[in-house]
Amino acid sequence: MSEQDLVVETVRDILAVHEPFVLTPERPWDAGLWGALAKAGLTGVGIPEANGGSGGELADAVAIVRTLAAGAAAVPVAEQLLVAGPALLAANLELPPVEEPLTFALGDAVTAHASDDGDGPGRFTLTGVVTGVAWAGTAQHLAVLAVGPAGPVLALVDVSGAEATSASNLAGEPRGSFVFDETAATGALLTEAQAGELRVRFALARAVQLAAALEKVLAWTVHYAGERQQFGRPLGKFQAIQMELAEMAGEVTAVTALTDAAVQVVEGRSGDVVLAAAAAKVRAGAAVEVVARLAHQVHGAIGFTQEHRLHHLTRRLWSWRDEAGSELYWSRVLATGLLVTGPDGLWPALTRVV
Amino acid sequence: MSSALTLAPAPRSEAAEQVRADVREFLAAELAAGTFETHVDTWLSGVDPAFSKKLGDRGWLGMTWPKQYGGHERTAMERYAVTEELLAAGAPVAAHWIADRQSGPNLLKFGTEKQRQDILPRIAAGECFFVIGMSEPDSGSDLASIRTKASRNQAGDWVVNGAKVWTSNAHYSHYGIVLVRTSPADPANRHAGLSQLLVDLSLPGITVNPIRILDGGHHFNEVVFEDVVVPGDMLLGEEGNGWHQVTAELAFERSGPERFLSTYPLVAEFARRVPPGDPAALATLGRLSARLLALRQMSLRIAAALDRGELPNIPAALVKDVGTTFEGDVIEEIRKVVDVTPSLDSPDPLGRALAEAQLHAPGYTLRGGTNEILRGIVARGLGLR
Repeated sequence: MSEQDLVVETVRDILAVHEPFVLTPERPWDAGLWGALAKAGLTGVGIPEANGGSGGELADAVAIVRTLAAGAAAVPVAEQLLVAGPALLAANLELPPVEEPLTFALGDAVTAHASDDGDGPGRFTLTGVVTGVAWAGTAQHLAVLAVGPAGPVLALVDVSGAEATSASNLAGEPRGSFVFDETAATGALLTEAQAGELRVRFALARAVQLAAALEKVLAWTVHYAGERQQFGRPLGKFQAIQMELAEMAGEVTAVTALTDAAVQVVEGRSGDVVLAAAAAKVRAGAAVEVVARLAHQVHGAIGFTQEHRLHHLTRRLWSWRDEAGSELYWSRVLATGLLVTGPDGLWPALTRVV
Repeated sequence: MSSALTLAPAPRSEAAEQVRADVREFLAAELAAGTFETHVDTWLSGVDPAFSKKLGDRGWLGMTWPKQYGGHERTAMERYAVTEELLAAGAPVAAHWIADRQSGPNLLKFGTEKQRQDILPRIAAGECFFVIGMSEPDSGSDLASIRTKASRNQAGDWVVNGAKVWTSNAHYSHYGIVLVRTSPADPANRHAGLSQLLVDLSLPGITVNPIRILDGGHHFNEVVFEDVVVPGDMLLGEEGNGWHQVTAELAFERSGPERFLSTYPLVAEFARRVPPGDPAALATLGRLSARLLALRQMSLRIAAALDRGELPNIPAALVKDVGTTFEGDVIEEIRKVVDVTPSLDSPDPLGRALAEAQLHAPGYTLRGGTNEILRGIVARGLGLR
């Protein structure tokens, strides 16, 4: 068993005693699960020990995020391990302790002003509203990509005492807003390219979660079709149902193949990080319509209830596909990037993305 | 997900990127010289033996086969790059396509030494073209029900009677690998008693009748066998092993880039017409590109698996199902955002490409196994059957 398999096994063991539950404003995340993951060192994977993490590679962090996404785990691990943590490290900013949940948001309406010379890691003040913040109200720290007078700024704010508006996505995951009024933050200037890469890493994190959840929804649906009997035989013996499950499998396989390849590009394989991640997000989002629709169709009325587990993943699928930049946004980014040398460059560009 | 469906990611191949660059350069020169024009679905309709010969001369046919049979001992990943470039350019590759893709590998696997030495070097040279002899008038998806019969005569030769249909480019081809019944049908074992014969299409008793597709194009044929005497040493593989041999061809037949690039020339033409900054057209191009990029990764994984010596039939069925669906969707997605009337006579290249793609569209999800059959195979991989 590889080290990565061991990590995944540990996450699975922890998940086994933390079943997903219906998220409400009163119970908006799984604090117990987070505590168990933190205690096992899993909230610091992919972050060097020198920075307070547990070490390991990006691939290990991706494996953890996949496992948690498939388990509908209500914890900000994707944001911390795949987006905010690596971004703060790359910007030479000090990471909060990995036991304290850290999230990430795009702050296109937040301005950052240097409160010192502003030439590098330093002090900033933030002003403006950041909306749709994943885990707002539960995360203690927020890394926000804000707008500075000299270009993008990655700022780190302690939001443990800040008031978040109560808003959630279709799965009940907190997605509230914060209002900043000359709020103190540490921060660093980014180049436009660095800011662009940060946006795509956020999108790729959601694509990884989508891929894992799509696979799990397929597995649940295949299992259900093998178990549920109607007309004296399992649903899966009916050709009409087989066609639906095979169509789901095609979508899931396509998403997995492209998402895996995009992760490899981020890890350093040749390719275009921005376009690979954009494509993965678009493809994963497009699969949601087919997979969630057919999963519910095969599950029938029981899958439409709050009692059944299916909604824990399908509601997340319907949410995640529009987060971190919608399919529409990323499809335009992808097309624009592919056409950058003109229409005759489309095919060569396609062969260089991943 | 079920391990029957998943394959390991394909490694990046530098050799493949090198040959890709060579092919791209060759195609640019040929296009500039006017030796071919880009069309949609050219692996069915773009017959040009002279072009096939040029590919053979450059070592781009029979790429993965041993050198002793005229091959070039390159990887499936390199072959993937070559075929992908040819398809994306809409180059005329139909003449050699079947021979290079599946008849050659089939001969290599099951053929006698004499069969291999006689035929493989000619395929690799781009001089010998093949047809697939599987479907019959009464046997479409239900291939095991074929009735074309071969029986041994006293000289030990095979006497063949029956008919094959949808036989692409039989009117230009030299050989067929023909699935025949060599023992009476056994209801208890429908897959038994079938064999493959290597048939020279110039033999007496063979008639090739055109079957025109709906736009009048002549690609398909009916091939009728009337007491055709096929030499006894032209049995391919083992007598009675035909079903297994046919199945072994499928990973080659179903997984390649021709299962999602048949309408790529239409996408390329559309890209030339995306008005700068047009949000709807850009989004469409982005969505289509994301689907295409995923299909490339699926297909590349299969090429890498072939290099490892695997025959991943279930993932191949998935590529063909998802890929051929994409080929048709390309037409509808583009229609929604560009105001163009499709016509083969259109002065507008986008109008012509749309017309070509539309008129060939019914074939995408039928040829090589209907998508319903493929989904049945996938369902088996999911453990449902």
